[in-house]
Amino acid sequence: MSGDLNLEHRYRRVLRLLPAYYRGKWEEDMVAAFLDSWLTGDREDDEAILEFCRPTWQETASVAGLAVRLHLGGAGAPRRYFAWEQAVRNAVLVVVLMHSARSVDAFVRLAWARRLFGIPGPPAYIAIAPPGGFWPSAFRVVDYVWIMIFVLLILGHNRTARVFAALAIVPDLVAVVQAQLNGTLQGAFGSWAFWVLLDLAPVLAMAAFYRDAPPAARKPWLLALPAGYLLVFAPVLAAEVTGNVVWLPDFAGLCCALVALACLAHTPKAWSRDSTGSGVWSLTLALLAAVTGLFRLASLGDYQHDPHLMTVSLAELLIVVVAAALVVPDATRAQTAVPAQSAYPRLGWKP
Amino acid sequence: MTGQAFFVLTALADGPRHGYGIVGEVAELSQGRVRLKIGSLYGMLDRLAIAGLIEPDREESHDGRLRRYYRLTRDGRRALAAEAELRASTARVVRTRLGLSGAEAAG
Repeated sequence: MSGDLNLEHRYRRVLRLLPAYYRGKWEEDMVAAFLDSWLTGDREDDEAILEFCRPTWQETASVAGLAVRLHLGGAGAPRRYFAWEQAVRNAVLVVVLMHSARSVDAFVRLAWARRLFGIPGPPAYIAIAPPGGFWPSAFRVVDYVWIMIFVLLILGHNRTARVFAALAIVPDLVAVVQAQLNGTLQGAFGSWAFWVLLDLAPVLAMAAFYRDAPPAARKPWLLALPAGYLLVFAPVLAAEVTGNVVWLPDFAGLCCALVALACLAHTPKAWSRDSTGSGVWSLTLALLAAVTGLFRLASLGDYQHDPHLMTVSLAELLIVVVAAALVVPDATRAQTAVPAQSAYPRLGWKP
Repeated sequence: MTGQAFFVLTALADGPRHGYGIVGEVAELSQGRVRLKIGSLYGMLDRLAIAGLIEPDREESHDGRLRRYYRLTRDGRRALAAEAELRASTARVVRTRLGLSGAEAAG
């Protein structure tokens, strides 16, 4: 219970969700307007209102929504918020790119199995798609929806992309819950970690793609999809076909390897004297390293009875941590070096 | 321009208002369809101020609390006029396509 708090204090407590810089600018004003919306001018009524009433959930939700937008760097936010906002958007795009490249992979495997390429079908041991049934079928459709979500984000249709993404993660969740309840879930730790870190978290982080968010650079991101497939998933398929599966890491390991390679590739720029503009990507890679590191850590539970795979997984974790450490100093600098810019240019403003 | 931004700017068109005054005026202008929450209002006011469309006018004390009034800037007035013209011309097109006269549309 709120004890000796009155309505004003309860509202101020809700306002603590907002960044300090914003509270300093608007808190007194918001409190005054909020109390104006409650108080009647009648002394007895007002005393009762102040003592017993509390902010409605709609009012709290509006402050929470504002807080999310401001923490991800809205117009007028301090520099570090801008760096985080851009890094979160980049990281979300990378994760959605990964989902999309997996979708392309699923399509290629399915098309090959259906002999659409005019060549003999794949060996029987190649994983094509889940067997029949409603949810496996839903998976196939959802696989392809990720490509659409990726393209929608690149083209700036942020709200539509957010809605489709929120729907796209549901079949995964249902399948994991269903398998968990049936006792048929293989790699339970990894499956849950995948859903939480690579499905749910990016969808929540899509709040950074608000209506006025600066658009992503279209050409490089759109080219990244075929490139991502050809450089990552096509070689994996080739390794499977040629019977070299033993060299392939599991998905968490693959993510660790890719993020570590990206960190290493970015390190010369992050360490160069003229590292202007590299900081946001350093922050992006640090963020991705944290996510993949957590993914690897959480999925270790699946290998507790296999010392060899446990050792390999710990090595992957170590590699991604060391690689991320190379870009962390530049990522830290980015929080003060990224120039603050208004998402609302004064001339020709078209909200 | 979003509907909310349009209503907030319109609420300030005939003179400065404080936060809750804007909420009430927007509700009246929209015939109760737009009921701004305080969090949404100040998110909007912050963005409009950064865009240079509104600015603080004055502060007044009311029951021991400070009320800050806001007014349209010259850019805000211009943006609101342009948006109103755009919406009016769109409404004219819609009426024409629906085959409605002015009286029918109003009714």
